[in-house]
Amino acid sequence: MAGLAAETQAAAAAPRPPEATASPAPVLVSVENLRIQFPPWNAPVRVVEDVSYQVRTGETMGIVGESGSGKTLSSLAILNLLPPPARIAGGRILFEGEDLAAKSQAQMQKLRGRRLAMIFQNPGYSLNPLLTVGAQLAEILKVHEKLPRSAALQRVEELFRLVGITDPGSRLSQYPHEMSGGMKQRVCIARALLCHPALVLADEPTTALDVTIQAQILDLLEELKQRLGMSMIFVTHDMGVVARIADRITVMYAGQVCETGDKQAIFARPSHPYTQALLASTPRIDKSYAVDAQGRRERLPTVGLAATPGQSLGGGCRFAGRCPEAVPECTRLVPQAAAIEPGRSVHCLKRGSAGVPGHG
Amino acid sequence: MRVFVFLARRLIFAIILMLGVSAAIFFLINAIGNPIELMMAETPGMTGEVIERMKGYYGLDQPPLTRYLLWLGRLLHLDFGTSIVYNQPVGSLIATWGWQTLKIQLPAILIALAIAILFGVTAARRQHSRSDFTVMGTALLGQSLPAFFLGILLIFVFSYTLDWLPSYGAYSTRNPLWGSPTLDALWHMILPVAMLTFFNTATLTLLMRSNMVDVLKSDFIAAMRASGIPERRVIYVHALRAAFIPMLTYLGLLIGLMLGTAPVTESVFTWPGLGSLYVAAIHQLDYPVIMGASAVIAFMLICTTLLTDVIYVLIDPRISLEGGP
Amino acid sequence: MTDQTIASHVSAPKPAAKPARGIWRQGWQRFARSRTGMLGLVLVLIVVATAVIGPFVAPFDAQDQSPMLDPGAKAPPSWTNPLGTDRMGYDVLSRVIYGAPTALAVGLGAMSIAAAIGILVGGVAGYRGGTTDEVLMRFTDFFLVIPMFVVILAVVRLLGVAVVDTPFESVPYLNLGVIILLIGVFSWAPIARMTRAEFLRLKNQEFVEAARCIGATSGDILFRHILPNALPSLIVIIALGIGGAVLAEAMIGFLGFGDPAAVSWGQLLYFNYQALKVAPWASLSPGLAIFVTVLGFNLLADGLTDAFNPRAKN
Repeated sequence: MAGLAAETQAAAAAPRPPEATASPAPVLVSVENLRIQFPPWNAPVRVVEDVSYQVRTGETMGIVGESGSGKTLSSLAILNLLPPPARIAGGRILFEGEDLAAKSQAQMQKLRGRRLAMIFQNPGYSLNPLLTVGAQLAEILKVHEKLPRSAALQRVEELFRLVGITDPGSRLSQYPHEMSGGMKQRVCIARALLCHPALVLADEPTTALDVTIQAQILDLLEELKQRLGMSMIFVTHDMGVVARIADRITVMYAGQVCETGDKQAIFARPSHPYTQALLASTPRIDKSYAVDAQGRRERLPTVGLAATPGQSLGGGCRFAGRCPEAVPECTRLVPQAAAIEPGRSVHCLKRGSAGVPGHG
Repeated sequence: MRVFVFLARRLIFAIILMLGVSAAIFFLINAIGNPIELMMAETPGMTGEVIERMKGYYGLDQPPLTRYLLWLGRLLHLDFGTSIVYNQPVGSLIATWGWQTLKIQLPAILIALAIAILFGVTAARRQHSRSDFTVMGTALLGQSLPAFFLGILLIFVFSYTLDWLPSYGAYSTRNPLWGSPTLDALWHMILPVAMLTFFNTATLTLLMRSNMVDVLKSDFIAAMRASGIPERRVIYVHALRAAFIPMLTYLGLLIGLMLGTAPVTESVFTWPGLGSLYVAAIHQLDYPVIMGASAVIAFMLICTTLLTDVIYVLIDPRISLEGGP
Repeated sequence: MTDQTIASHVSAPKPAAKPARGIWRQGWQRFARSRTGMLGLVLVLIVVATAVIGPFVAPFDAQDQSPMLDPGAKAPPSWTNPLGTDRMGYDVLSRVIYGAPTALAVGLGAMSIAAAIGILVGGVAGYRGGTTDEVLMRFTDFFLVIPMFVVILAVVRLLGVAVVDTPFESVPYLNLGVIILLIGVFSWAPIARMTRAEFLRLKNQEFVEAARCIGATSGDILFRHILPNALPSLIVIIALGIGGAVLAEAMIGFLGFGDPAAVSWGQLLYFNYQALKVAPWASLSPGLAIFVTVLGFNLLADGLTDAFNPRAKN
């Protein structure tokens, strides 16, 4: 991934000609102070703690973080599909004027697939192996739009064509195991778009694919973005991928938001120490690395070793254990959002955030 | 087309198996000693007529291989010979007694399957809850309880102590229940079917639960939920189908086990089924019945295995038709 | 006299490493945490203890029918006969105790035979692959389909008839021996299947390749590497099989085909089943004994599965 990462990062950080800044699009989804927890309930594991971000119509929000950062769970929470026994312990998820976190499963079921859709990480596993792809997707149309079988299959075929599946008609009667990885992911993308959802959540949709196929799928997603004006939340751990596909980025670490903002801004001027470390540790094509007297290249900086994994002992900022700039207050106080530029906010005491005492 | 090729292969294998088993039965029984001489040693009162008839049927003055082929040939014509003890054609004996066996085996399997699906799915949905552990615990216990001991217990409690249900036989010899022979027969069926069902249910429930738990964790179920498919359908149509498929092979084995231990089951309840016929025949050295009944039981078992394999392939699109999983 | 030449400093090539002892210790620790497994172990130990010590402490001899005189046949439990007497005047408790060694003999004996055949067949099939595998597997399938029970009944009876008036007739426990042999012969198929599956899985793993690279022979690989790693799964199946064998013998005895010279729980049931209504203790006691034994081995197998294949629990 190094090549892709370096190249796109350079492109992302390069100054762009100032565009006519039209009034920003309306906010589609607003996640506010989301908390997700696991049992035991007398001392719950706080896997997502006070996470907030907004996604506007037509915009792609990239959520970046390493494994365990809570990025997948926060997006699953939007659909209210948390794997039991996890549950939403606080916060709101505003979508189309309603709080999704307060809805029942039955109410959510009406929205899922219709206004909200999801693309999963592993296409091989997220398709039902016992049904043909045509039948699976047609069923969704039957549920949401009550289409009869033939009309449903026709629509599925149209979408197959849209996502670039060759010979879409004959694919309808194929089983998932008869398709390649890239083809299956295209089917999953088609499945997400069936009912023209307002928001698509993509959970690392390219991670399980070969590099060349990854590039194809990203191309496809970008194209669909342009053509359909899709709003998307794209979760990934890969800086290179997010640099390419996202408009805005939210960086997460261990269940907390580090910073959120415009993609160019974050790549050009990373603020939070974690973001800085992440970007510094990726090899870049537009930087030259010094060679010392013995012919050895300078080493890439790395993010420091985690002293205490996951939760911070004092309940404060969870990156404090690995942060080169940490001070004692950092482990005690939870940094709140601080606006550093228009449209950008960062959560760091050393960058101007106010601190609130946290719980362990 | 591929389906037919596959079916043909399995069929041929089944036939070879039948031949093998029938040969095994034949040579095993005849290798131990010449049946006529053995019988004469045990039952000195055997009449010359019976001996002559046996000689004729088995061609006892000929080499073993010829005798085997002779017997096999008659089998294929459904000519099982005549029972020495009952003096009736073995075929009709097997039919009558076999029907009694089916009377209790079939309902047992069906009821067990229904209960297993119900409880297995419910337990899987409420994984780690108290009801889950109860179901699992009962099932584990049921698996270890020897079926025939359960039968004895059932008789002891419901028949001797409470006197609610009959303790033996398929029919009352006098005074059928409430004057109706059908009701009477059903009344007699209750305990044996209960016993068979209990054992089957235990194993099937555990398996169903385990499969369901795995399926419910899978991505495609989450994806279906994410697409807005109603929870009812997700669980009872899609998840259930995925969880049920691996059970098929086990179902075949279970039927085989039930049939194989029918002698014991029927002995506990003194039930006039194929198993009882077989045991009595062995005790009394009624060779035609022994060989005929073994052949029929083996045949039923092989058919069951063949059927399960075929159904499995037809239902699961992932299995290639050539070699199987 | 120590030899000071360089050669003496060259140590002999070490034998290829067995799987670290850690696996067994780890397995035991996990097993100890499994409640079902520990319960099973306790039950099995009780049965084993009864089998070993029981005959020495049993109040009556196995063939002793003196209770027939006092308190008489089919007498309910009392201080002299804690489990009562049975239809023929035996003390039930003593007979049940004497049934334990028979049960264990059957279980262990049959499974030893089954394991020997099964591991051999399955191992060769799994390791060799190809046509050997195909042929052996068809052979195994054949044994899987045969109704063990039905066949054993016939063979035991006919053998009994055939040995009349022959020198074999006086062989002690011949009947029981034949039963054990037959149960073993019909139980090896599942073991073969599992062995084959394990060997197939293991022979392609990297540590086998590595062993081959350092020059281990096929025999080495088989016995030092593959077999020890396949053992955990095999032990589970064998444990289950022991329970199954005990059950099979009980059923054979229940139908009246047991060895008249041996005391077995199944036979006790056979003798006393008719009197279930008037002397339930005579039937329920051996039945309970069978249950406890089979349950013990099943739970043990369950615990072993947890120990060696810890399922990821949420």
